[in-house]
Amino acid sequence: MAILGQSVQRVDALGKVTGKTLYPGDLNFPNQVYMKVYFARRPHARIVSIDTSAAEQHPGVLAVFTAKDVPVNEYGLGIFDQPVLCGPGSSKPYADRVRFVGDQVALVVAETEEIATHARDLIKVVYEDLPVVDDPLEAMQENATLLHPDRGSNILTKYRIRKGDVEKAFSTADVIVEGEYITPVQEHVFLQPEAGVGLIDEEGRVTVYVAGQWAHKDQEQIAHALGLPLEQVRVIYPAIGGAFGGREDMSVQIILALAAWRLHQRGIDRPVKIVWSREESIIGHHKRHPYRIRTRWGATKEGKIVAAEVELIADSGAYAYTSPKVLGNATLMCTGPYEIPNVKVDSYAVYTNNIPNGAFRGFGGPQAAFAAEMQVNKLAEKLGMDPVELRMRNILREGSVLSVGTPIPKGVSIEKVLAECALKAGWQKTEMGWKAPDIQSIDPKYPHLRRGIGIACAFKNVGFSFGAPEQCWATVELIGKAEIETVRVYHAGADCGQGAHTVFAQIAAETLGVPMEKIELIVSDTATTLNSGSASASRMTFMAGNAIKGAAELALENWNNEERPAKGTYQYRPPKTTPYDPETGKSEPNFAYGYVAEAAEVLVDTETGQIEVNRFVCADDVGKAVNPQQVIGQIEGAVVQALGYTLMENFIQKDAVPLTTTLSTYLIPTILDIPEKVESIVVEQPDPIGPYGARGMGEMPYMAVAPAVCTAVKMATGVWIDEFPLTPERILDALGELEEEGEA
Amino acid sequence: MQNPHPGLPEIEYIKPASLEEASKFLAAHAGEARPFLGGTDTFVRLRDGAWKDKYLVDVKGLDGTAQVSFDPEKGLTIGAGVAMNRVEAMPEVREHYPLLAEAIRTVASYQLRNRATIVGNICNASPAGDTIGACMLYGGVLKVFGADGVREEPLDTFFKGPGKTNLKPGDIALSLTLPLPPRGHVGRYIKVARNKLGDLAIVGVSVLAYPDATLASGYRFLIALASVAPVPLRVPAAEKVLAEKTIDEATIAEAAQIAMDSCSPIDDVRGSAQYRKLMVRNMTRRALTEVWQKLTQAA
Repeated sequence: MAILGQSVQRVDALGKVTGKTLYPGDLNFPNQVYMKVYFARRPHARIVSIDTSAAEQHPGVLAVFTAKDVPVNEYGLGIFDQPVLCGPGSSKPYADRVRFVGDQVALVVAETEEIATHARDLIKVVYEDLPVVDDPLEAMQENATLLHPDRGSNILTKYRIRKGDVEKAFSTADVIVEGEYITPVQEHVFLQPEAGVGLIDEEGRVTVYVAGQWAHKDQEQIAHALGLPLEQVRVIYPAIGGAFGGREDMSVQIILALAAWRLHQRGIDRPVKIVWSREESIIGHHKRHPYRIRTRWGATKEGKIVAAEVELIADSGAYAYTSPKVLGNATLMCTGPYEIPNVKVDSYAVYTNNIPNGAFRGFGGPQAAFAAEMQVNKLAEKLGMDPVELRMRNILREGSVLSVGTPIPKGVSIEKVLAECALKAGWQKTEMGWKAPDIQSIDPKYPHLRRGIGIACAFKNVGFSFGAPEQCWATVELIGKAEIETVRVYHAGADCGQGAHTVFAQIAAETLGVPMEKIELIVSDTATTLNSGSASASRMTFMAGNAIKGAAELALENWNNEERPAKGTYQYRPPKTTPYDPETGKSEPNFAYGYVAEAAEVLVDTETGQIEVNRFVCADDVGKAVNPQQVIGQIEGAVVQALGYTLMENFIQKDAVPLTTTLSTYLIPTILDIPEKVESIVVEQPDPIGPYGARGMGEMPYMAVAPAVCTAVKMATGVWIDEFPLTPERILDALGELEEEGEA
Repeated sequence: MQNPHPGLPEIEYIKPASLEEASKFLAAHAGEARPFLGGTDTFVRLRDGAWKDKYLVDVKGLDGTAQVSFDPEKGLTIGAGVAMNRVEAMPEVREHYPLLAEAIRTVASYQLRNRATIVGNICNASPAGDTIGACMLYGGVLKVFGADGVREEPLDTFFKGPGKTNLKPGDIALSLTLPLPPRGHVGRYIKVARNKLGDLAIVGVSVLAYPDATLASGYRFLIALASVAPVPLRVPAAEKVLAEKTIDEATIAEAAQIAMDSCSPIDDVRGSAQYRKLMVRNMTRRALTEVWQKLTQAA
């Protein structure tokens, strides 16, 4: 019946379009109370004292919680370096410090949100300001003020790769290109700001309804901070209003659990609700890492890239979040999808007082790809060679050895992906090699408008990397007598809006040979489902797909053995990965990859500096498009999000204080600011170990947008711009227009 | 930094029965009460704590504020409470005041324009107000009810600074009248913003021009600039050049340069002063050129 490969109706479609689906902020329980957070609102200080008496005495206030109320006052995804609440009386050293504006200091629980807000403003905090560190380069200096004095350095993580002999290789290169690239902070702007409800459920468990990306990891972090056994904490995800990595770390999870638990201990069993405003969301959760990347690449005149040397410095912000893992990705991807014999990489993630940076679609890949692809396009220019041709002479193929000294897993398709993108964008494959489309940069009728085209490509891992434990559970239950009447799929995986749950149902239906209508999903509740890992790293279709397929096959076997109901529980474990060797970087970084190539045609108005992207082509190898409509949706969404990153989104922090905390100051593209059409090419070269050949694909179309657009702008204007967003001002500055006016 | 969720303070909503009552209340509560029309700016500012008023006095519906009318002799009269979309949709506005219609279409979003008013945009006195330039160039005059009765306030002398106007406590703007524009007029509003929907103007350039045989150039050009000075800015020196010299590329460039030199923009998150100045020159030149082309095509 082939349910796989069909754009079946999404399982959440009807509920969402009719407004019946409830997101965390829509949930209301009888007798609930409301919580507000007192945010630090200053970037670096020691809290001398907190006076909550006026707030506590305010009519309608049930409780005020501070650091002394947190049993184990620390959390983090991997590194527990962040206090749940900052302030004196904490169970952990240095937790009396605030390290960024969004650090949480106190919680007020009251009968209404208005009362909680008012009482929150009655809290008096005495701070002793500490020197602010807002520049990673400064933070790396020996005498820099330490963000975490117990760690001895602001350098959170560093990696190195040593392959071959870079210096010797440079001496054989005919051309060398050096560049310094600076990439910006980006805010996720998911539709639904953080919200949720904390309560004690009927079995006495501390229960949090919230939108996240990994229910069991949330559960773990809550249990750790509250000092409770895991099974006494329950996390439930209702509908999730977007995530993009922005919900990987804790926001309201622990504080909701803490408030519900502490109230319960005082004999008050009332659900606690919180809804963050957009401004709270913007200061309250992490951003995409800004990177400073210095790099040097060399090639022979035959177009063989012989060496690449890269230094990456990522601003981690005040806490670790996922910085070590994001840096790991960037370190691997900064030399692009090419086989380069000599590679030297040094990379650093550094603490500062800026808003923490962490997971965001692409996970360090887009920053690294920007540097790599700009370098390749500059090399092509310098060699007088077509940029597609140069890529084809160096691109990863089956059996290619990565910079980390091990072969890339089978199923390498970047050559095919790049070729399809280039052909669609107007390139020709001639006997002389690849040839770019002939685009006139100047239209004599409109001399202020300039046209250009650019191309770039990238690879991105699917699943957790570098030895991180990777697995995914699923349970499938078949109910019926003579024939299967109902299929229950139990799975923790988060549907952040990308359509994961529809894919779960499709894979179950396909494997069992039953129609979609028979599938019943029991999802995203730690009390009824097993650990799935996160909805991140483009891994959900791949990992959950393999797990559900495995569970369904087991259940079917049991069904055929007359078991009623027949149940199968299966844990999928992919091939092992290994961490970077500290000296050489040698590792087996990933078990699977996705591949993408993208081309952009732009029109630059040299009088305003404004850029229009008239045409955008994206070719993405998804292995197998389980639901083609959702695949196209992911491609279009990723491209638009990355165009915002490239052209418009300008998150400004001054002295570690954000100036763009509203959607009127931090702008994202509107419907009028995006190309009329994204030309998506869905390539289906199966991944050898993916479920039905599927690869991950949610991040890949994001990866190469910035370098494609920046290269198109170079062709249009004649100027390479190595820093974005390409705001009109930056364009005019690069064209020398602003300078000229300054002198006039 | 300020509190990320200030919350809307408690405000008392006042719905007076007459202009006199409204005016008296506003005068008696100077500094803590303000007239309330569409509320599209008011509520944002109250929530952000930028305004601290205790009372909002709803003047929509009082004595003619809800009406908009066109008279072939007297021109267009827009009641203070009339939403922008209603004005923009009027065939008479599109025919006789196309520059106003064009400017309205650049304000925020369609949904917001269902509430926002032209008179509110004017009284708010933001230098970035998109419709103010058009209203000034059409010779707009506000009718204001105050303690001493009804008076007229020409827009050219109405603005005193960001958010500051000739209005005093107890004053209520009732309507805006735009006289019938001269025959053969052509207008253009160019808004430079960070996106194409919803952003405030980094720079706004309004140009209105029409044939005038009494002038050496044969044409009268009017220019108003948004977001580049403490008040919506007219540029008489540039207008003078365009009245006196033969209109050609060089004259237009000269006028654009004068416009640039006469403004005093600030730096903010939307753009630097330097960029704004450059945009004034380039967009004034662009607007003048487009208007000039249309005028000569018509002639």
